[in-house]
Amino acid sequence: MEYQKAAELNGLCNGKIVTEYLCRNGFSELTVDTKKVAVQHKHETSRKEAEDESRLPALEAAYSTILRGLGENTDRQGLLKTPLRAAKAMQFLTKGYHETIYDILNDAIFDEDHEELVIVKDIDMFSLCEHHLVPFFGKVHIGYLPSKKVVGLSKLARIVEIYSRRLQVQERLTKQIAMAISEALQPVGVAVVIEAAHMCMVMRGVQKMNSRTVTSAMLGAFREDPKAREEFLALTKSAQ
Amino acid sequence: MERSKQKQINKNENEADSAINGHFDGRVKIPGWSAAGTPSTAPSSSVMESWREERTRSLEDNEMSLPSIAAAYTTILRGLGEDPQRQGLLKTPRRAATAMQFFTKGYQEKIVDVLNDAIFDEDHDEMVIVKDIDMFSMCEHHLVPIFGRVHIGYLPNKRVLGLSKLARIVEIYSRRLQVQERLTKQIAVAITEALQPAGVGVVVEATHMCMVMRGVQKMNSKTVTSTMLGVFREDPKTRDEFLTLIRS
Repeated sequence: MEYQKAAELNGLCNGKIVTEYLCRNGFSELTVDTKKVAVQHKHETSRKEAEDESRLPALEAAYSTILRGLGENTDRQGLLKTPLRAAKAMQFLTKGYHETIYDILNDAIFDEDHEELVIVKDIDMFSLCEHHLVPFFGKVHIGYLPSKKVVGLSKLARIVEIYSRRLQVQERLTKQIAMAISEALQPVGVAVVIEAAHMCMVMRGVQKMNSRTVTSAMLGAFREDPKAREEFLALTKSAQ
Repeated sequence: MERSKQKQINKNENEADSAINGHFDGRVKIPGWSAAGTPSTAPSSSVMESWREERTRSLEDNEMSLPSIAAAYTTILRGLGEDPQRQGLLKTPRRAATAMQFFTKGYQEKIVDVLNDAIFDEDHDEMVIVKDIDMFSMCEHHLVPIFGRVHIGYLPNKRVLGLSKLARIVEIYSRRLQVQERLTKQIAVAITEALQPAGVGVVVEATHMCMVMRGVQKMNSKTVTSTMLGVFREDPKTRDEFLTLIRS
């Protein structure tokens, strides 16, 4: 049952908002009761920051094994501290598991009488492909039509950070960002577009240097009203 | 059995590796170059020999080490707080291990194999440049990708090299755990030793994900390193011509 909940955290994004935020520690003895979800999800994360240190030795040992398996000499000067550095780097690149939306959003929602499109575009995004553990990176454009509540602008970028610093699939990442904003603000509509380059396609496999993957999530008015969608897409394209 | 074979590999590495992909003291004997001003001091003979007999990883080595690398990746996934049993991650350890072996496939190849046939005698002594060679490497400090472009120029001395071989040399040396400075130098030295040209210039311009995705997080920074050997080092006009042509 624990694993099922973990799957919901970063696995199926089936639109049930509450399960989006269900973050739990993968290894604690806690059994998560579905009725308690609403309370627990605000406080628990699947990886607590304090545990990062205690997890380092196991990660280091794993990286040493990898280096040896690749035929490298782990005693040479350049590689001496590489397992430690690589383990810390990997923890940093997956720090999105530490954080919950409510931690960063709780304070910065304001009542404003604004009902026009708000866009934050060209948010640099770096994530890890969950299939190959290789980076993919690109830009995120977010737009929403507020319904009396606006959010601090940097919070949109922070939402991107939380969800992108994980083992991700670009489609799921797009949807998670859109759903998070939707749930937090209840706006009239949310639109998220991500354009990324996947190193797993560029550096290996099919090796197409210039390919980019574009995914989008349109919720609410952006889904129903083509004019709103057009306006958003026109405004986010202008930089290119 | 796997362990002892790995130990053997490691042992050989200790001798050759410190020259191949470790410390590179840069003193290489270039036959035919005068002593004045060129770095042709006492031969770093281990570099010369090891260039010819590099430690290679074979395809069987790859297959044999795959399970242990995959198991290490499973440990890493769990250590990061993920659930290795969820659908998206089920085969990830294997994929990540294969991907990592691909990113270090430079250890499987020898310069000698790649170059042996494609050196031709041509009566050409003007500069030959191959530029904008896409390069992908792995930072040996953080195991995170480095990517960028390599520009190579050389002044042949009656012997020219097949053009794609320059790109193949880049591939062999970049598909390893690297440091950009060392990569640049290894490419230059390999061309020098293969062709004995009048001069070689190599410029590598790369983005380091370890600086972009983590740490100091500077998105637009690029690192540029260059190695100029022979005439490129001594004659500023040649160097200028090379640098101008790669900019255009």
